[in-house]
Amino acid sequence: MSTVPDNAERYSRQLLFWGERTQRLIGQGSLLIAGVGGLGATVSQILARAGVGRLHLVDDGVVALPDLQRQSLYGECDLGRKKVLVARERLESINSALEVIAHDYRIGDCATLPEGIDGVADCLDNFASRFALYRAVPEGRFFLHGGVQGNQGQVLTLVKGASRPLEEILAGSRQPEGVIPVTPDSVFVIAGLMANELLGTLAGTPKLRDRFLVVDLAGFTFSYLEV
Amino acid sequence: MPASCSSLPKTPAVRVQIYGLLRLLLEGREMLELPWQEGDNVARALEKFQAALPVPVRGRLLDAAGALHQGTIILVNRRNILHLEGLGTILHDGDVLALFPPGAGG
Repeated sequence: MSTVPDNAERYSRQLLFWGERTQRLIGQGSLLIAGVGGLGATVSQILARAGVGRLHLVDDGVVALPDLQRQSLYGECDLGRKKVLVARERLESINSALEVIAHDYRIGDCATLPEGIDGVADCLDNFASRFALYRAVPEGRFFLHGGVQGNQGQVLTLVKGASRPLEEILAGSRQPEGVIPVTPDSVFVIAGLMANELLGTLAGTPKLRDRFLVVDLAGFTFSYLEV
Repeated sequence: MPASCSSLPKTPAVRVQIYGLLRLLLEGREMLELPWQEGDNVARALEKFQAALPVPVRGRLLDAAGALHQGTIILVNRRNILHLEGLGTILHDGDVLALFPPGAGG
């Protein structure tokens, strides 16, 4: 008897909502998650639970104590371990049908990305690495940007070669000195919105193509900004 | 019969959309409409923007010499002014300025 749960049962709740066609498109999806810290841990977890086919995880960091307030794949038992390896273990334990490829390197150190990806999720924590990542994305692939600071954040979908480059849109952005203030709730909100947009994009219905969704949890507002 | 409001001549204006911390400083205001005059550029619009506000925000956008600070991106009609003519970018009636400080973390 198989120990792998039947997909129809596993996905029964979401199939009621988005149907088999969307589920199939999600299952065929191959994505690169750049950074498995605050945003990347939760984004990849949601994608694993939703049934995405393949995830490439890129990060060269290790789990540290200040990560535990917001990085949902890690616990105290993981302190000091490589994030990509722990993340792969957790994601495979959530969904054994998911193919997870761990890449232990820093974005910017590698000019080429794995072949066959449909798109990239920018879950990075600095603008320089984001710009390097965008430059490495193959033409025609989508690039989902997410950023969070304090209790605000933003999500944006671009298509390489068709949209304005990220580096042009975000010219003049400033990388804060030192540690960036961030709360667990804001990270989970932005990561949830990113996952929603990734699933929608895989299903052919992106909502944030060439426009930011700007989230301000202090004022509890959600606004669009066209780019 | 009085003229309807829609037939009144529209005052030339530019709109400033505000995001993030700036919006908090401005008590939740999302947008401000500023009068426009021929020749106005982004720098002039920011002066008018400051003049229309009860709290100082100019220092968050410009340094003492009037140069653009890094941190808040400024878009004119969806394009970053650093890829146009910077603070000297000429504005036209109906243009939309957006002031947006993006979150850096992940």
